Amino acid sequence: MQGLNRLVIRRRTTLLLLSIFGIIGVLIGRLFFIQGIKAGYYQKIAEEQRLRDIRVEPMRGTIFDRNMNTLAFSFDTESIYAIPYQVKNPKADAEVIAEKLKLPVNDVYNRLIKKTSFVWLKMKPHPEEVQEIMEARIPGVEVAQKAQRFYLRGSLAAHILGITGIDNQGLEGIENYYDRYLRGIPGSEQAEYDSRGNYIPLGERRFIQAQNGYSLVLTIDQVIQYIAEREIEKAVLENGAKRGAVILMDPMTGEILALANYPTFDPNHYADYPSAVRRNWVLVDQYEPGSTFKIVTAAAALEEGVVHRNSVFFDPGFLVVEDRRLRCWRAGGHGSQTFTEAVENSCNPVFASLALRLGTDKFLQYIEAFGFGQQTGVDFPGEAKGIIPHRSRIKNVELATIGFGQGISVTPLQLLNALATVANGGELLQPRLVKEIRSSDGKEVITRFEPHKIRRVLSPETAAELSLILQSAVENGSGNRARIEGYTVAGKTGTAQKPQGGIYGQERIASFIGFAPVEKPRVAGIIILDEPQGPVKYGGVIAAPFFSTIVGETLKYLGVKPQQKGEGMGQSSGESSVVVPNLLRLPRADAIRILKQSRLNYRELGTGEYVIAQSPKAGVTVKPGTTILLYYDEASHYQKEMPTVLVPDLTGLSLPAVEKRLTELGLQLAVSGSGIALRQDPAPGSRLAQGATVTVHFVAAGKTKVE
Amino acid sequence: MVLERKLFKNIDYYLLGSVILLVLIGLVMIYSATRNNTVLTGGDPFLMVKKQLAAIAIGLVGMFLIMISDYRLPDLMYQILYGLNLLFLLLVLSPLGMGVKGAKSWLNLGGPFSLQPSEFAKLLVILTLAKLLAEKEEMETFWDLCSPFLHVIPPLILILLQPDLGTVLVFFFFFFIMLYIAGYNSRILVGIILAGILALVLLFAAHYYLGTPLPFKEYQIRRMTIFLNPDKDPTGSGWNVKQAIIAVGSGRFFGKGLFQGTQGRLGFLPENHTDFIFAVLCEEWGFVGGFLLLCLFFILLWRCLVIIQQSKDRYGTLVATGIMAMFTFHILENIGMNIGIMPITGIPLPFVSYGGSSIITNLLAIGFLENIWIRRQKILF
Repeated sequence: MQGLNRLVIRRRTTLLLLSIFGIIGVLIGRLFFIQGIKAGYYQKIAEEQRLRDIRVEPMRGTIFDRNMNTLAFSFDTESIYAIPYQVKNPKADAEVIAEKLKLPVNDVYNRLIKKTSFVWLKMKPHPEEVQEIMEARIPGVEVAQKAQRFYLRGSLAAHILGITGIDNQGLEGIENYYDRYLRGIPGSEQAEYDSRGNYIPLGERRFIQAQNGYSLVLTIDQVIQYIAEREIEKAVLENGAKRGAVILMDPMTGEILALANYPTFDPNHYADYPSAVRRNWVLVDQYEPGSTFKIVTAAAALEEGVVHRNSVFFDPGFLVVEDRRLRCWRAGGHGSQTFTEAVENSCNPVFASLALRLGTDKFLQYIEAFGFGQQTGVDFPGEAKGIIPHRSRIKNVELATIGFGQGISVTPLQLLNALATVANGGELLQPRLVKEIRSSDGKEVITRFEPHKIRRVLSPETAAELSLILQSAVENGSGNRARIEGYTVAGKTGTAQKPQGGIYGQERIASFIGFAPVEKPRVAGIIILDEPQGPVKYGGVIAAPFFSTIVGETLKYLGVKPQQKGEGMGQSSGESSVVVPNLLRLPRADAIRILKQSRLNYRELGTGEYVIAQSPKAGVTVKPGTTILLYYDEASHYQKEMPTVLVPDLTGLSLPAVEKRLTELGLQLAVSGSGIALRQDPAPGSRLAQGATVTVHFVAAGKTKVE
Repeated sequence: MVLERKLFKNIDYYLLGSVILLVLIGLVMIYSATRNNTVLTGGDPFLMVKKQLAAIAIGLVGMFLIMISDYRLPDLMYQILYGLNLLFLLLVLSPLGMGVKGAKSWLNLGGPFSLQPSEFAKLLVILTLAKLLAEKEEMETFWDLCSPFLHVIPPLILILLQPDLGTVLVFFFFFFIMLYIAGYNSRILVGIILAGILALVLLFAAHYYLGTPLPFKEYQIRRMTIFLNPDKDPTGSGWNVKQAIIAVGSGRFFGKGLFQGTQGRLGFLPENHTDFIFAVLCEEWGFVGGFLLLCLFFILLWRCLVIIQQSKDRYGTLVATGIMAMFTFHILENIGMNIGIMPITGIPLPFVSYGGSSIITNLLAIGFLENIWIRRQKILF
């Protein structure tokens, strides 16, 4: 019995041993499957569970003018947010937060009790508010870094730059058109969280660097833009116009040097302005050009040989086409005149008959070749095409009126681009606002946009002939107020009737379009005043003088040598004289440069960044070498002992520079933050007694180049 | 003195050595799993380790006492042990018992001391059942199974009432293995097991098709079956299985390093010092660690089998068999649920998991094994 039993036990325990081998083997096999074969998969799941991504926003690219002056840049700013479920006493905390952030209590409370893991409390708070919130140490209320866009020069070039939203997305203008370059690529910061979603302060960390956006170099020149904005503001205000705009272009390259609208806005606070004000209507809206369009008619007619410079016309004051009497703007007509004189007179019947001579097909061919009815291709969002009536709807009457600029819609930019074609010898170029895309620090050029030729429209001979005719229109004709002392100017006035409800009403659009110098054009420009309200509404009277000032100063700034007496136009008054340029509100360095180029001496009075007064006044003719007095602050201007001083604009300056400036004025400095000056209190231009304190808030600008 | 020298000379050091290593690994893993859990430790990272050490001390003393005495107890003693077992299991069900997560399996002894009688019940039933089977002669017919069945049914019902399904399964496992080694007709045993499985299938079939009530709670069924497809309820009953596999898998071949585990520390892996301590080990020590631990368990089980074979009497053989079966099932079930091939039943990994009653029971069991080994039949060649 005992022996048999032992045998049974032996046999059965052997079976058990095999089973145990089996069990252990299965366990090891499964373990190897999980930890060897599928290990990567489980490791990924484990990391996804415990690591969470926090988006690290890239820094939006800087926008420079063509001389690398900063116009727009981004910097880190703080935003205050809450994690609702970590807030212990929503009621009490809401009151504290509301008081510190100056927000409505109910609003804060409602956010704190939201069933989400994250709510913003205040974006872009004041640095003091951030300080107070951090000191209050409310559980669940924290401060995040967020990039903020800053337009260093305020409203300067606002319509070109456009605006940026709260999440740093480009909404309008260049900011929008080049958003994918400016935006950059977000990075992430991975941090460890436990199963309940609590952040582990000493846990694992992983960083993926954000890639900052590319920077842009505009074709805009800050100084020319200043001049254009200053003058268009003056032009609009003096003439009571609804709005006005100036575009200046380098006709040889298609680069837009300045584009100014008035009224304008500050993109830093764009929400404070009606959206109509933000509309860059010279690119996105079309209008009936009126007489300025006669350039196109003339170009086509000259190129086709249907007219010559000295062809003789007789204008009885009207032209009968079919059953319509198309009247000249001048009652009684211009009588007998050469073609050049007809351009000088801006004689409607002459251009109507030219259109008829060309015929619909030929004329339309030129209109389209000049780029009308299609986008110019400028790098700006929402560009309008203009409207050319369909061929089938152009009968002789329509054809004749298009000849003098009625019954067709164009954008001011299209018109300027057509003029630039005449100026550069007959080639249509693509207008540009951006010159280069650069690396985020602005040092390395990524893409350079070379001038882009679209097509040849006119022969060089026709272009040259038309230039001379247009020069004559300025020297002897309707555009004579556009003359610039020392330079030859070609151009054409325009006074379009504004169609209102289908008929032409009382409102006008006064404009002047031209380029200079005629021999070697450097600047082509258009100035438009919409609905001027003064007693005179002719473009030649109210727009041309501003063209003269803007282009004149631009040429001097660009270092274009004025012609000596005897050369070019013979209208100069007396021997070797200079017209004093308008330097008001120009930055100091630019004012001095313009004076040097005008062969004038200068003396600087007072301290400040901008010219606030000058003597002699602009427009006075003086001998070269005359000393111009430049006043930089009011104290020196009045040359009296003033107990108060004018607070300078400190924005964009470094701390040492701010300190120096304020010390010179006898003001005290209170610093907050570090880096470059962003805000100041009181604002520039306010009066302060000497010894008073100016609070300046500095921010870190990162790698952004700031002058 | 003579006894003692003989005692130490004859101790199975393979067995004792592997147990000591397992206990040490357990202590390290308990520390790793609990040191950051302030809810559990109240700020002292060594608290759970200290508590476990206290239980180990008690267990070692008990083990030593069992080793030096004869494993063959007086007959009356078996009746007393069987009675005490039932008494404790009854007390658990009384108001003195404490419950955690639906199962009432703890007995509060006042103060910080508490006891899990179902742990001790396993060993006590093994001892008393072995005594019964050792004295039984007829083991050929179905009716010969009556007395062993009647022996285990009272404690089994009391444990089922807690309800502690895991321990019930352990009972079934060692019960059948002991009957098998005792020499029962294996065809009848297999028949009974198949019949039992068939009965379960019918019970569930009736439940789903006819709506008859089940003797289990809904959550128990879910917990028992979820391991087959943890993604069916990844945040509920499937959570534990999923997280255990993720912890094990993310440890890869060489592990994240001692105390470098993340899934337990960050609260993704629950019960990581008790049921899922194996996952913690595999996360930190990788496949290498898991493999070494299984090797230690294999040594343990292999020594059990040697002891079964070399016991000088049937009683010793059966006691060793019961203990071996108990260990085997615990290892298979615990590690199996950590790697997703067994249902979640909440039974600890012997010598490694945190738990006083468990480690004391297991050390006492080792005491019995060593005792049987020391007094083995000397085979002379």
